[in-house]
Amino acid sequence: MTAWLFKVFLLCLLNVAVALLLAPLCEGLMRKLRAAIHSRIGPPITQPYWDLLKLLGKEDLRSTRGSVYAAMPALTLGSALLLSALIPLAGMRAPLAFAGDLIVVLYVATISGVLIMLVGFASASPYASIGSSREMMMLLSVEPILAVALTVGAFKAKTLTLGGIINWQVQNGPSISMAIGGVAFFLALQAVAGKLPFDIAEADQEIMGGSLVEQSGPRLALFRWAMWVKQLVLALLLVQVFFPWPHFGIPPVDLVTTAVKVLLVLILVAVIDVVNPRLRIDQAMGYFMRVGVSSLAALAFAVIGK
Amino acid sequence: MTTAVRNIEASIVILIAGSLVSLLFARWRKLCGWVSFAIVCASSVCTGLAVVRTFAAASDERTILSLPQLGSRLSLRIDPLSAIFLAIVAVIALLSALYSVRYMEHYAHDSVAKFFPILLLCIASMTGVLVCTDFLFFLIFWESMTLTSYFLVTFETENAASQRAGLKYFIITHGATLCMVAAALLVWRTSGSFAFDAIRQSLSALLVAQPLLAHTIIFLFFLGFATKAGVLPMGDWLPDAHPVAPSGMSAILSGALVKLGIYGLLRVFCSFVVAPASLKGWGIVLALAGTGSLFVGTLTALRQTDTKRLMAFHTIGQIGYICLGLGVGTYCLGTHPALATIALAGTILHAINHACFKSCLFLGAGSVLYRTGNRDMDQLGGLAHSMPFTTGTTAIASLSIAGVPPLNGFASKWLIIAACLLTGMRFPLFLLLGLIALFISLATLASFLKVLASVFLGKADESRAVEEVPISMIVPQVTLAALCVLLGIFPQLVLRFVGRAIEGVTAMPLTGVGAPGMWSGLQIIDGSAVGFWSPIAILAALAVLALLSYAIQRAGGAQSRSVPVWYCGEEHTPSTVRYPASSLYLPFKHAFQGIYPSGRIPVPRFPASLRRALDFDRWLYTPSVKAIDRTADRVSRTHVGIPQIYLLWIVIGAIVVTGILLWLRT
Repeated sequence: MTAWLFKVFLLCLLNVAVALLLAPLCEGLMRKLRAAIHSRIGPPITQPYWDLLKLLGKEDLRSTRGSVYAAMPALTLGSALLLSALIPLAGMRAPLAFAGDLIVVLYVATISGVLIMLVGFASASPYASIGSSREMMMLLSVEPILAVALTVGAFKAKTLTLGGIINWQVQNGPSISMAIGGVAFFLALQAVAGKLPFDIAEADQEIMGGSLVEQSGPRLALFRWAMWVKQLVLALLLVQVFFPWPHFGIPPVDLVTTAVKVLLVLILVAVIDVVNPRLRIDQAMGYFMRVGVSSLAALAFAVIGK
Repeated sequence: MTTAVRNIEASIVILIAGSLVSLLFARWRKLCGWVSFAIVCASSVCTGLAVVRTFAAASDERTILSLPQLGSRLSLRIDPLSAIFLAIVAVIALLSALYSVRYMEHYAHDSVAKFFPILLLCIASMTGVLVCTDFLFFLIFWESMTLTSYFLVTFETENAASQRAGLKYFIITHGATLCMVAAALLVWRTSGSFAFDAIRQSLSALLVAQPLLAHTIIFLFFLGFATKAGVLPMGDWLPDAHPVAPSGMSAILSGALVKLGIYGLLRVFCSFVVAPASLKGWGIVLALAGTGSLFVGTLTALRQTDTKRLMAFHTIGQIGYICLGLGVGTYCLGTHPALATIALAGTILHAINHACFKSCLFLGAGSVLYRTGNRDMDQLGGLAHSMPFTTGTTAIASLSIAGVPPLNGFASKWLIIAACLLTGMRFPLFLLLGLIALFISLATLASFLKVLASVFLGKADESRAVEEVPISMIVPQVTLAALCVLLGIFPQLVLRFVGRAIEGVTAMPLTGVGAPGMWSGLQIIDGSAVGFWSPIAILAALAVLALLSYAIQRAGGAQSRSVPVWYCGEEHTPSTVRYPASSLYLPFKHAFQGIYPSGRIPVPRFPASLRRALDFDRWLYTPSVKAIDRTADRVSRTHVGIPQIYLLWIVIGAIVVTGILLWLRT
């Protein structure tokens, strides 16, 4: 029992460490790429690390008192990291696979967003309230798409575990329904990561960062970090569930291929981010409504066995 | 020797006798409250003993009154299913009674004689409904429950809205009761008995011999119970009636009373109907009704700005989840026993969990109303610092109803959604319903974030000083919130009893849900283990990771300082720049406008001729009074006050009398 717990703990630690330490690097890469498309030199790839380091030492200005409010950043980053322990890094089994299936993953994926919204409402700034309201609407329009896409996998593999779905994918190869599901998941990822044209909730030029307008210093650092972790982990989920090939069965090799695929996904996200202007919230909602309805086609294909 | 049934009898007798006692004390408001609370305490202890005894030993049956001519007898029996609902009623009644002691001060102009005695009778009839094994007496208890709750809903006699809502409640629920009476009589005509066992036998015989009649009977039962449970469109009474009742009663209505509709549906569909083919059809009907009401109810709730009305719409939504689970369970009952048990476990667990969080939410809204006198979210705000307990408990209950893990709402939603998805792998319609349920749980979250944001968070206006509610109102809220957390982290605690209940009703052991150990939590088993949820492991991981994050946050040793909110350099007061509840999610609300059709029913005019015929004042009393008056007036004109004239009258009178006498002689 203790040995088993220890093993689970070590595997969790690996997942968490990878997510925590590589998330800023991915963000740095995406910034560099954006600069390249803008024909700028841009910041060094390590810039997000320096940003975090600087913020951790800055003065922490709080507009609201209270211990729950004070604990919010740690809980937010903690729940984003928890998500990383629920998703397999390489191979089939996540460290906490015994503790949560895909429904749990879907619910846990919303926790960090919910906490950020609550912080926005609690900070008493009207800009933060508007940001939180928009964030909630984006979540409402995007989350069903993630759910539909993962359900296609569950339907195919006849199981609710992520490991089972990945296993089925590796065994059976690509299928039309999973491809459509993957595309829908990718389109939703753009909004979950808060990138253009869907950075409506932050919209720096209109509402000055939305929910986080009153955050500063280490609190802001943790919220930023949580968002980067979430973006990386959801890209990992996309790659693992919908595009797990080629699968070699040797963990280090799989780790490398997964990392490459995740980077490709994030680069694509960054490119879309650069070449698009921001949409209005109602336009974005209409867009995702259409994506959501189209993604039901994946379900239909799955039902007829494609 | 005391048995479970004896305990329940004692509980009902205590409540009925207690209602008279509390009536005696009605003149002293606070004392009456405490006396009633003591009575509910005693009865809840008896009910609790009965529940414990039911799970410890096999249930017994006791006949109190027998009416062989009617084929009916008043006999009481407690099986595990009724024991679970009895536990819900006992706990919610106890906490609401404690809460109401101080809360009723809010209604200074209405006598508590209209509240506490009737509340006790209402609890007694709810208890009675759950232990009856005979439909005639079931209906008697059911009707007394409906009537007493009607009087509690219309408690504020001066308030036109509450009277109107009460009338709507009265009419709709009596329509439902009529359906149930019709169903019971139709069964009685064939079997000659009102007993549940006889109904089961004759219904299964009818399903073979006269399917049309049998399905009509089932449909009538469905209408009757679903109306009480608040399944749309029959549950239209609920969003009007729940908000206008005093908050303690709202908590009982939403937490316990609507659950009895679910109890009835469980009885009808899981134990009365036995043919697998007809179960499938009814399973789909139930699941569609449930999905419809969770979709429409929750999205309508999102538009509300009155706290209690919003919560009432969420009751419709959550009952929709329960009904969806029941539908999936009914669908699978004949063919996939493991899946059926998953869905039914989710159904009963969600009924228990809903009792905890929804009662807590109504009590929280009541506390805000008690201190601020306001239910309008647009005018409230920033109560978090002045009412920390109410804020904390409402926040826990809000996250719980939205299904944020690891609180209790998640465990049951997880079971229901997993059952939907797994059944969907055999019959894809359920896949769609499961996805809608997932989406709506997010809409629930949006709606309760709105409540938290606009009532509790943000900055308060300095002008209004608000303090926390008294301790006797805090205790029930904290207890319910603690239950939300406890049942969320240890769902196994309740699941064992839920399994017994399912086995008692359907005669199938709980094969679909396994609880292998503390760390591994719950497993969904469909052939092999296909779903996992371990609250302890998730919570432990979250705690460790949050501590790690906190260490990172403190690593730089940054100082913190309190600053005012930054309004881009302008000076504002919090109230002028507050983002009101009605503005939140506006584009989303526009997208789902008109989802809840509302039409005014034209009130039929009272026929004028009948009104005139019934108006005795007009054609009988007033004319006769006037005639008498006029006559008296004329008579009085002869009294002119001159003695000579009076003498003249006397002389004339004497002559006339003499003349008459003479004439008579001849």
